[in-house]
Amino acid sequence: MPTPPLETLTTRAFSRRSLLGATVAGLAGMALLSACGPEAGSVAAGGSSAGRSGGTLTFVDPEIPTSAQVQESGTWQTRDLIQNLTDRLINRNPQSNELEPWIAESWDVSKDGLSYTFVIRDGVTYSDGTPLDAKSVKKNLDWQIAGDTKNGVSSNSQFPRAATITVDEAKREVTVKLPTPYAPFLNVLTSWSAGLVADATIDATHDEQVKYTGLIGSGPFTVEAETYGQKYVLARRSGYAWAPQGASNQGETLLEKIVWIPTEDDAVRLGSVQSGQAGALRYVEPKQEATLTAQKFQVVSKTGVGLSNQWFLRTTVAPLDDIKVRQALSHSIDRAALLKDLYTENWSAATSVLAPETFGYKDVSAAFGFDAAKAANLLDEAGWTARDAEGYRTKNGKRLFLKTYIDVYDNTANALFQAIQAQLKAQGFELELNRLDYSSYWVKAFGDEEVGLLRVGWPHPDPTIGLREYYGKDGQDLLQLAGKDKTLQDLLDRQLVSTDENERRALLEQTQDHLVTKQAYVVPILNDSQVFVLAPGVSGFEFSDGALPLFSNVAVSG
Amino acid sequence: MFSLRYVARRMAQSILVIFIVYALTFFALFVLPGDPVDNKINNPVSPLPQETADGLRAYYQVDQPLYVQFFLHLGRLLRGDLGFSLTNGKPVSELVSQALAQTLPLAGLAFALTVLLAFAIALTAVFAPVAWLRELAKAVPVVSISTPSFLLSYVLVVVFSFRLGWVSSIQDEGFKSLILPAITLACGAAGALSQVLIRGLQKAAGEPFVTVLVAKGVPSSRIVLGHVLKNGSIPALTLLALTVGELLAGSVIVETVFNRTGLGYFTYASVRDQDTPTIEAIVLIVAVVYLSVNLVADLLYAALDPRILAHEAATRAPSKRRLGGRIKGIKEEVAA
Repeated sequence: MPTPPLETLTTRAFSRRSLLGATVAGLAGMALLSACGPEAGSVAAGGSSAGRSGGTLTFVDPEIPTSAQVQESGTWQTRDLIQNLTDRLINRNPQSNELEPWIAESWDVSKDGLSYTFVIRDGVTYSDGTPLDAKSVKKNLDWQIAGDTKNGVSSNSQFPRAATITVDEAKREVTVKLPTPYAPFLNVLTSWSAGLVADATIDATHDEQVKYTGLIGSGPFTVEAETYGQKYVLARRSGYAWAPQGASNQGETLLEKIVWIPTEDDAVRLGSVQSGQAGALRYVEPKQEATLTAQKFQVVSKTGVGLSNQWFLRTTVAPLDDIKVRQALSHSIDRAALLKDLYTENWSAATSVLAPETFGYKDVSAAFGFDAAKAANLLDEAGWTARDAEGYRTKNGKRLFLKTYIDVYDNTANALFQAIQAQLKAQGFELELNRLDYSSYWVKAFGDEEVGLLRVGWPHPDPTIGLREYYGKDGQDLLQLAGKDKTLQDLLDRQLVSTDENERRALLEQTQDHLVTKQAYVVPILNDSQVFVLAPGVSGFEFSDGALPLFSNVAVSG
Repeated sequence: MFSLRYVARRMAQSILVIFIVYALTFFALFVLPGDPVDNKINNPVSPLPQETADGLRAYYQVDQPLYVQFFLHLGRLLRGDLGFSLTNGKPVSELVSQALAQTLPLAGLAFALTVLLAFAIALTAVFAPVAWLRELAKAVPVVSISTPSFLLSYVLVVVFSFRLGWVSSIQDEGFKSLILPAITLACGAAGALSQVLIRGLQKAAGEPFVTVLVAKGVPSSRIVLGHVLKNGSIPALTLLALTVGELLAGSVIVETVFNRTGLGYFTYASVRDQDTPTIEAIVLIVAVVYLSVNLVADLLYAALDPRILAHEAATRAPSKRRLGGRIKGIKEEVAA
């Protein structure tokens, strides 16, 4: 029985919206006219706002938030909320991508990588008034590592499997002793799912923890009201004074409130911002971006650190058992054409299995640059020389055939897969596209033994954990190597326990070389982009390292 | 008016139908590929922790044979336990009540609008003094039936929300937020209803009793409102009963566009996620609503036309069969 690709695998959209969206091209034009009306932007600003302070931001998101239970969280909409409701021990500065103090004002790692000591910032409190002190941090870490079986709370798969945690209250110190080194640990502590919560949340029943009103954090916003699936009201946390070192706003949020409304329909979400009923939205169809920019709306995007969108090629499925075929496939995809035809400048071609800002990233795009002549040569060398009546290459009478399923978690996937299918056909590959519904996709597509390739890859706080979950023998083993590629398994194992940053960086680089350049196991496609649209009066919007929206410095002006 | 026996028998029939619908749904869902509980537990978007998954497996006794599971579900149902959602672990009854709280006011308003619209169209089409007005009214049902609800939804949202700003497209503003979706639903439902009503009224207006009433000097307004309407609306009543079910559960698209999370959205989401306990609960609710409304309609039917009761008394034949025939007849008429 297959298990999920990453606990944190996420969704951008469901197909229903695209169905509706596609049918209203004409009406969209009408909606655009309305945006030129005099009151555009004013409703979103609701309440008086002088300069850059105060006001309420109405934010429309394409998805209904899933569980607020921290260890279960992973969808984009849930990450986005938890990011703004909780604080973490460490922050990765979104500009420099360096780790910086947050709730831990400093930390120290022993040379053997087995002992971590964090000094906890003084004076931090949760929104229920209880202190976020060393004791609370210990309780959180224990809870993340061990889970709470009796309460139906699982352990956080990003965290180390075991640890002994001690507290020195006088020194405000928390010491974590690990049985084996765990290189991703500091990165994991920057994750949205490492958000620190009050005892009241940890001690609450699981039923309470899944609610946003039950998520008591120390973050810049608190949840004032929640109507499941309809409306989530976030309010300013008064007295907030413990933002990460590099944050532009060190104090309370400028906004008084955020009214967070899930709006699944693409056309309505867009129209609500254009007509001034909402001030910001997440995810707009790429083809709408140019019009919005022309109307003075801000279209902002970011690629979070972690993994890029990629296709893994199963070496157990012919003809992908031949490295020449895998290499030929890599050289057959013209990303520049894909971006030009289907996307905008807010999207970019992947240059590795990791996203560019990620720790250990190496540009290995030379191994899979579009090169039709090279692809043809490789296929000729591999013996796929004949062509059948439909123009596909054949070998011993068999067609050069690959089977895949269209990704259901990304609503640009339909067009993307079809475009790639056409590009591959030009090289003589037949790519069979299959469709599954949302609920059966994971089990059926990944369980199908005939499948040669599938798309995976999303932002993640640590590249090692992400790569191990996909390609390690103890993870999903998507390549079905079962540890037979000793080099790959060795690289993945060593980077997990490496105690030297430079060594781990080198190991990550070698892993990318191995996966992409040497073995052509994986074909990187595009970097994942999170796209937001802001009304003209909205300022101060920023992204976290993981491409999550930061609202603490946002202001709206009438 | 009705013998208790008649009502009791009709209710027993309804309960049997509900049982069959429930059983069919249950077994159909298990015929689908993959164990719904396992599928759910492995959903990569909202993976459930092992402990929760084990709890769910134990609760639904998925290792037991299918018929044991069926009777387990049925037994729980009889005790009023609808189970827990496989998507978020919340009690199904809680989710259903939230959805109903969204849907009932909307369906109620839409129903009232549907009736108003249908009668207005039909009366105009049959009794308007000017010929062109009658012809115009007769064309309205065709336009209504052939206008997709998403198109009307978008037009209303664009005009009244985005352009005029009279109502929010995203926030729930109470009664104000019901108006546009109710109009959309009513426009869709009123089409077929007014068409049937027009035929009924035309037929009734041509009956010999009208000639008698005219001869007796009864004012034409009383003939129309008192006699023709009563006789001519009987077929429409049955259709109206079916409309209620549609208004309650069939409004997925309208709910999406108007950003509501009612029964329609809930149906869509639970089918997408193969959330078996929730689907069962919805099917059950819709079946109960359809059957109760039909029962009420049948009883009203007899009240409007005492001949049915006389016939019933004479033959003791279940009237459902006859009504079934009528519904079929009406559907054929509408199709024609």
